[in-house]
Amino acid sequence: MKPDMGRLLEVAAGHLMGTTAPLLGDAYEQSNVSVLGMMLMAVGHEHERAAARRVEENGVLRRLFAKAADSAEDGELSARLTAAAASEDADLTVSALEASNAELRGLLVELHAALEEIDSPAARELEAEVWQELAASTRRRSLPTLGDT
Amino acid sequence: MSEPGIEERLAAYLATKLPDADDVRVDGLARIFGGASRETYRFVLHARQGGEATSRRLILRRDPPGSLIETERSVEFAAYRGFHGTAVPVPEALWLEEDPSHLDHAFFIMEELTGSNLQSSAAEAAPHAAKLTPQKWSILGEISKADPAALGLDAVMTPVTPEACWQRELDYWEDQLDRHELCPQPITRAAIRKLRKNPPPPAQRVSVVHADYRTGNFLFDDEGTILGILDWEMAHLGDPLEDLAWGLNLVWQTPDGLAGGLATREEAVRIWEESSGLRADDEALQWWELFSSVKGQAIWVSSAKEFTDGKNQDLILAAATLVMGNRQDKAMLAAMGHPV
Repeated sequence: MKPDMGRLLEVAAGHLMGTTAPLLGDAYEQSNVSVLGMMLMAVGHEHERAAARRVEENGVLRRLFAKAADSAEDGELSARLTAAAASEDADLTVSALEASNAELRGLLVELHAALEEIDSPAARELEAEVWQELAASTRRRSLPTLGDT
Repeated sequence: MSEPGIEERLAAYLATKLPDADDVRVDGLARIFGGASRETYRFVLHARQGGEATSRRLILRRDPPGSLIETERSVEFAAYRGFHGTAVPVPEALWLEEDPSHLDHAFFIMEELTGSNLQSSAAEAAPHAAKLTPQKWSILGEISKADPAALGLDAVMTPVTPEACWQRELDYWEDQLDRHELCPQPITRAAIRKLRKNPPPPAQRVSVVHADYRTGNFLFDDEGTILGILDWEMAHLGDPLEDLAWGLNLVWQTPDGLAGGLATREEAVRIWEESSGLRADDEALQWWELFSSVKGQAIWVSSAKEFTDGKNQDLILAAATLVMGNRQDKAMLAAMGHPV
């Protein structure tokens, strides 16, 4: 798409915040339009990375699940970890990637809770990897355009 | 306000509250941006009383179709009433109306605080830090040491024992998360497990908890004097450390590391302890700080749900989630010893 989506949203946001908002007489609507502009800037940022960050995160989670499947004491959880580790993102639309990411992150909650109950060096090692991934997930989601660096 | 005839409807309602007044009129009704839990409007009430024309600047707080948090307007109204005239500055609450027929939703009316160039944000507060810091945290101390019964608030706020404060709050906000999360929240879930495994000691006393006490929720003038503590919509009885911890949450910290752009953590705690006569046990405070991030994330998650479901399309709901959600996760990780 040309102009690029990011550029289009950037210009639209600038117009709303710099041109439209000051023309409005109502202070409440002026603030609303400014917020709308700010959100368009964030959408432009997210649009560029939306698929990439989900593909990256889903990959990290699948590799973590493959490693953790053998350590899980719960056979049923172990089986689901194995299945999730073998799954793939065939559909690369953002909505499909978001759905698979939600499934994987839901399983991460279960794995994390299970690891906390296991008293072994292997569990501590995996738990440390879970914490690393949780920290990485916030870096992937940072929106510098909204001051979240 | 774009609703046709709303000023006339408000005037008609106010006329019933002022039976000795004639020519009751409302003008200048304008919505104030930022109210996420109630729609907030300012207006001027004109009337003729005893032959003299009078005017008063007032605030209308009206229930929205959906909001960040489900709150009891009667409790908020009672909190304003209870603290009015005490060491905790608040505007005077005037009328509470639960009947939605007057303005389509329940509402209450209070005085508008007026003064020279009133401000509230952290950026506006920073230049007045030397004056605002002792006021902000000592006023919180006054809230913490106030007697709920003496303020009449024990009658409207649900009672709780010192031992049960933490569990009631954690149960409530976990339930909000369960009901409203649009996608899994692994960091928040880890925090909840940690909080349940390591409960805090019983509260030193059961206090009134403002529950959203931070820079941004009080108004100060250009002399740096706090004129009123606002936004009591989540007020309840509980552990006073809950309020202290909320104000110290990293999401309110400015880049210079100051809580709400005003004070270091140590300074805030010291002033609060001196004012309240209570002690901020370090481990207990840390528990409440992690809890405050769970609560914060539950609020942002709920706002996203309201917006997504179309119950309330106020842009502030979407903006709040976009701006705060990831920051709250980072604050939670830091509180659990895994800073990003």
